[in-house]
Amino acid sequence: MKRNALVLLLSGVIVLLGLVSGATAEEGVTATEIHIGQWGPQTGPAAAWGSVARGTDAYFKMINERGGIHGRKIVYHMFDDAYNPAKTKAGVKELQEGVGIFAWVGGVGTAPGLAVRDYLMERQVPWVGPSAGSRHWIDPPYKYLFAVYPLYETEAQLLCRYAVANMGKQRIAIIYQNDDYGKNGLIGAKEELARHGLELVAEVPVNITDGDLKPHVMKLKKSEADVVLLWTTVKHAVMTVGISKAMRFTPQFMSTSTCSDFPLMMHISKGAWEGVIAASFGEIPDSGYPLLQTYKQEAFDQYAAKDERWGVFYTAGIVWAEPLVEAIRRCGPDLTRERLVQALEGLKDFKGISGKISYKPFDPNDPSCRQGQDEVFLVQCLAGGKTKQLTDWASVE
Amino acid sequence: MIDFIQMLINGVAVGSSYALLGLAMVIIYKTSEVPNFAQGEMALIATYVAYMLLEQYHFPSYLAFPLSLVFAVVLGCVLEFTVLRRAKDPSVLGMIIITIGLEMILMGLVSWKFGAEQKSMPFPISPYDSVMFGEFFVSTLEILTLIVALCTMIVLFLFFRFSRLGMAMKATQQNPMAARIMGIRTRRILMATWGISSLVGASAGLLIAPIIMQPYMMWDPMLKGFAAAVMGGMTSLPGAVFGAYLLGIIENLFGGYISIEFKSVVAFVVIVLMLCIRPSGLFARHYVKKV
Repeated sequence: MKRNALVLLLSGVIVLLGLVSGATAEEGVTATEIHIGQWGPQTGPAAAWGSVARGTDAYFKMINERGGIHGRKIVYHMFDDAYNPAKTKAGVKELQEGVGIFAWVGGVGTAPGLAVRDYLMERQVPWVGPSAGSRHWIDPPYKYLFAVYPLYETEAQLLCRYAVANMGKQRIAIIYQNDDYGKNGLIGAKEELARHGLELVAEVPVNITDGDLKPHVMKLKKSEADVVLLWTTVKHAVMTVGISKAMRFTPQFMSTSTCSDFPLMMHISKGAWEGVIAASFGEIPDSGYPLLQTYKQEAFDQYAAKDERWGVFYTAGIVWAEPLVEAIRRCGPDLTRERLVQALEGLKDFKGISGKISYKPFDPNDPSCRQGQDEVFLVQCLAGGKTKQLTDWASVE
Repeated sequence: MIDFIQMLINGVAVGSSYALLGLAMVIIYKTSEVPNFAQGEMALIATYVAYMLLEQYHFPSYLAFPLSLVFAVVLGCVLEFTVLRRAKDPSVLGMIIITIGLEMILMGLVSWKFGAEQKSMPFPISPYDSVMFGEFFVSTLEILTLIVALCTMIVLFLFFRFSRLGMAMKATQQNPMAARIMGIRTRRILMATWGISSLVGASAGLLIAPIIMQPYMMWDPMLKGFAAAVMGGMTSLPGAVFGAYLLGIIENLFGGYISIEFKSVVAFVVIVLMLCIRPSGLFARHYVKKV
């Protein structure tokens, strides 16, 4: 009888504990750990952007070294999707359902991100700072998706504005990747030029698998463009500039922030990148910006692999993670996804190493409630991969 | 008209690298009837070896490039000896699958050893210098590639026609059993075939690398080379070269006049059309069953 009572009591305790822990525990959060995930192309055609996910890794290690956040260490799960949306989806599902990820951060590429956006949103998993400036993250807005990267449209608009207003250029053409990434740039350029009563003189699409860009450059040359916007992968951007040089076609090239890692671009273009103007969403890695220098010393110097480079893409991995870490910190010890969303919505002019980041309470009719940063500045590549800042932080409005 | 002629020139220019890879595939196919899908990645490894010798060991280029070509020959022979030859009861399909597997392994190996980021191959000629002929331009690297492709084709053609080893290779392809009875060591012949094919492919890799160098770089040229070889009938060396130049020109004209968006699929349309309409290729005479 006594034994039965003991079994009954123990069962009751176990059930009660289960209920209690079920009521308070959040997926991916334990008393000592917070599980955060990210995908990134370590191989494949977009591998040049692979250092984004590695930058986040060093940043999280630095946070953990400083004691974590409210006693919890970040456990970072990074995987290689080779810029292949099918692999992104498989990897995200595997980690989400196998390990249990509290929130996702970064993630290079519009197409890979689009492959998992609906999945994450249906499961109400927060995702902060997709590493792509696509309008798809915010239009329509999603409660759990917080964009940091300024819209590619914004970059294209500001580049076109600079070309027309500051450089007096009239004949602007674009070579763009034939997917959402490229088309967002195309839309932005068209919008801005329309404001000046201009039209693009050539719109040349390029597929990610294209190996020969001479026909593309011929089209650009034929249009007699004096400015060419590059909205492609690093590989295609370098090929376009190089082939143009061989063809004796010398417009002013302007590029999205995805090709703003000037030392890298100068190296792989064998110097042809000199003079290219690009947008930048974060402080320049070799600038003396104090917070950036702290990250370099405490994250990069401590945790980066031997052959890693302190470049734009690497620091971008920190840019996406900064608002997430700040919001987790603001949540206090009681970390849940709902509280994280509230904390993110509370960010106003938060300044890390990017432009200012602000969110608003969720409004399904207002895309800007989930667009954190809308500022960029323009830079020009000088000899030796050095950077010249052309403008201050600016937004379209 | 100027555009048209420039497009023809561009087509011939890009066709040269397709031609080298097409030739490499034809050499193996001629003797073993296996389309080698690892061709591009075999060239990739040799190219990265050249890069390693130049960048890490600071070899001069007149040593680094020949050494990488020697490496390519050894790699081809080793792969044949250690992998292909070990296949039990090899069917053509089985061998194709093995080459696809090899392709993935080799690409993974390069990504692991050298990283997936783009590299800059030091090369004596700048890929962005060009020569102007009146209104037309050709890059100096493309002229070099054209010369290498045509010389390779002529040397291979003479080799297969007049050298003992070349004759033995042809004999092995036409009737392995009879060749063996006549005293030809067909296994060694196959190994030599892989070595020579790897050498030709590697020369393509070395000429592509100055423009773009990353583990993914040989995939597109390899497929185009394959398409060119199919056009030429898979066994004809001049056929593969002719197919490569034709493909380059078709791609450029298609991109220029019809649709630049669909330019990259032209090669595959060509493969499908050739296999449907003339499966023996433009230049093959004695075989009907192909690929």
